[in-house]
Amino acid sequence: MISRASFVLLLALALSALPAAAQQGVSDTEIVIGGSNSFSGPLAFTGDQITKFGVDLYFRVVNDAGGIHGRKVRTVYYDDGYRPQDAVANTKKLVEQDRVFAIIIPQGSPPVVATLDYLEENKVPMLFPYQSSPVTRGKRWVLQGMTLSDRSSKMMIDYLAGQRKIKRFAALYQDDEYGKSFLTAFEKDLARFGLKLAAAESVKRGVTDVSAQVAKLQAAKPEVTFLVLVPGPGAQALKERQKIGWTDTIMVSTGPLTDERYLALAGDAAEGVEGLSLWPDPVTSDLPGVKLYREHMLRYHPNNEVNRYSIAGYFAAMLFTEGAKRAGRNLTRESLMTALESIKGYASGILPPITIGPDHETQKQGFWVRVEKGHFKPMTDWLKSE
Amino acid sequence: MTWAALVHVVISGLATGSIYALMAISLVIIYNATRTLNFAQGEMLMVSTFVGWTALQVLDVPLVGALLVAVVASALLGFVLERVVIRHAISATHFDVLIITLGLSLMLRSAAGVAWTHDEFPFPSFFGNRPLVVGPVRVAPVSLGIIGASLALMLALGALFRWTRLGRAMRAVAQNQRAARLMGISVERVYSSSWVIASVVGAVAGVLIAPVIFLSSKMGLVAINGFTAAVLGGFGSMPGAVLGGMLLGVLENLAPLYLPASIKHSVPFLTMITILIVRPGGVLGRVARRKV
Repeated sequence: MISRASFVLLLALALSALPAAAQQGVSDTEIVIGGSNSFSGPLAFTGDQITKFGVDLYFRVVNDAGGIHGRKVRTVYYDDGYRPQDAVANTKKLVEQDRVFAIIIPQGSPPVVATLDYLEENKVPMLFPYQSSPVTRGKRWVLQGMTLSDRSSKMMIDYLAGQRKIKRFAALYQDDEYGKSFLTAFEKDLARFGLKLAAAESVKRGVTDVSAQVAKLQAAKPEVTFLVLVPGPGAQALKERQKIGWTDTIMVSTGPLTDERYLALAGDAAEGVEGLSLWPDPVTSDLPGVKLYREHMLRYHPNNEVNRYSIAGYFAAMLFTEGAKRAGRNLTRESLMTALESIKGYASGILPPITIGPDHETQKQGFWVRVEKGHFKPMTDWLKSE
Repeated sequence: MTWAALVHVVISGLATGSIYALMAISLVIIYNATRTLNFAQGEMLMVSTFVGWTALQVLDVPLVGALLVAVVASALLGFVLERVVIRHAISATHFDVLIITLGLSLMLRSAAGVAWTHDEFPFPSFFGNRPLVVGPVRVAPVSLGIIGASLALMLALGALFRWTRLGRAMRAVAQNQRAARLMGISVERVYSSSWVIASVVGAVAGVLIAPVIFLSSKMGLVAINGFTAAVLGGFGSMPGAVLGGMLLGVLENLAPLYLPASIKHSVPFLTMITILIVRPGGVLGRVARRKV
């Protein structure tokens, strides 16, 4: 039995044993960062790719070259299976037990939203969450990764309604934060052109049949139908359209969906589909950063195909490394955030020059693509969302 | 909404309904023989479809070959699981066995993730996706194919239960296990056969539905609708399982057509609750009355 006085004494001793200015997760030889992600559940493939084949791939390259100011980077991940409550538990464990320095690329709007307040309160940087809802905007300790839905929407509507003079729009969206944040943004941007959505139909996660939704959308006769879905239902919608021979609408996929995996699932039903792409083509792009990413993937994971998910994780690790390098040997959470906020016109060789600044958004752009013979063909240069 | 579009939506619903019906049937087969629910049914379907797909990729067999491989793999899996895991719990309560099958489902899903990743893969179909045009109505061959193949399998099962020795033995065990044993029926053999037959039905359902919902470690979730279908039709009744599946498939498709988004997803369950209030045994089920 420990008396209260001796407990306080023990606590004081324990606290005084800690070096005064040490930053949690940063030692003389190591930086520990981590994140809660999907390694099971609906986004398991994406989770695996962005972390183990993306973030870790870049850090392996960095570590093999001597690390960041002499420190090697180590990563810790836990599986939340896209469940917000598990994401909270994992994040607390990472911060309090694994004592990570920062959280990197957590995935999915619901899990990310659930951990936002905890990380803000504890002043732990949340770096480049892989989700598109604007709820992450305006936070002191969050640096947003993926282009936010309102920016995507602005680029899409400006291009379609502005440049291509399209008047009738409809949307098939996933019934959650991801789908709804896009829907709200579409309505706002269409209003600028005096337009509104002719029809909007929702799809539940894990749906087996989307024929009713697609039939209702067809009845509204839209010129453009937006798909705000994940790959499985997205491809199902395309196949459903083929089933009913609905040809007089252009199917347009949003940024998170525009990926080779979804094309592969839909097969020839994807021909002619358009979309906003947030990443250059990981297979064919000649950009120096993308070429280097392919080389690194071939060196460390020769059996893992390149895709837009692993390149997103690779890019997140690259930005972290840039920030940590700029922060110098005295790496703290404050110095990292200040360093990242100071990034201006940073040439990654993957995306157009990155300027982070006070709005804490790293990606603000995308470009238009169209599926021709099973591949995304670029239709525009990078579009602007500002 | 034109009536032609309505016809398409209903036929599409019948196609998914057929798959629900097959899942419900495989659950009922095991339930009737062993009085336990097999929560791993969906994952067994998923694993056997993956095995068929692997044969397609590695051995370059035609699709019929992949179906056969899936069926054989599934039968083997069902047999082994029953003999190695379930048989040991023969004297345990139904609840214990239910938890065991739940554990099996988690294990199979993780194992599939390790073996084939958690990615989704396209799966070839026996039937085309481009519509047949009949007047104003457009019907997809894939929907008709799924309905036809499922009905054929259901008829074959019906014949098996009605006219074969094994089928009679299975019906006898379902009615009264002790009496069946006294009549010289090997209850263990019936257990084993019911797992094998249910697995084979699952494998066929898997190969039929994989082109539509894609092949992935999570495709086994389709079995949840099989449970609903089985309850809807009256748990334990085969015709009830078929009716329940079809009803569920069509309802799921009609609800989004006519109801606001906020409640459409709950329609199948609202229907189930209503039916259970009106007919506690399900549409074709009987309520077991206990004499005091």
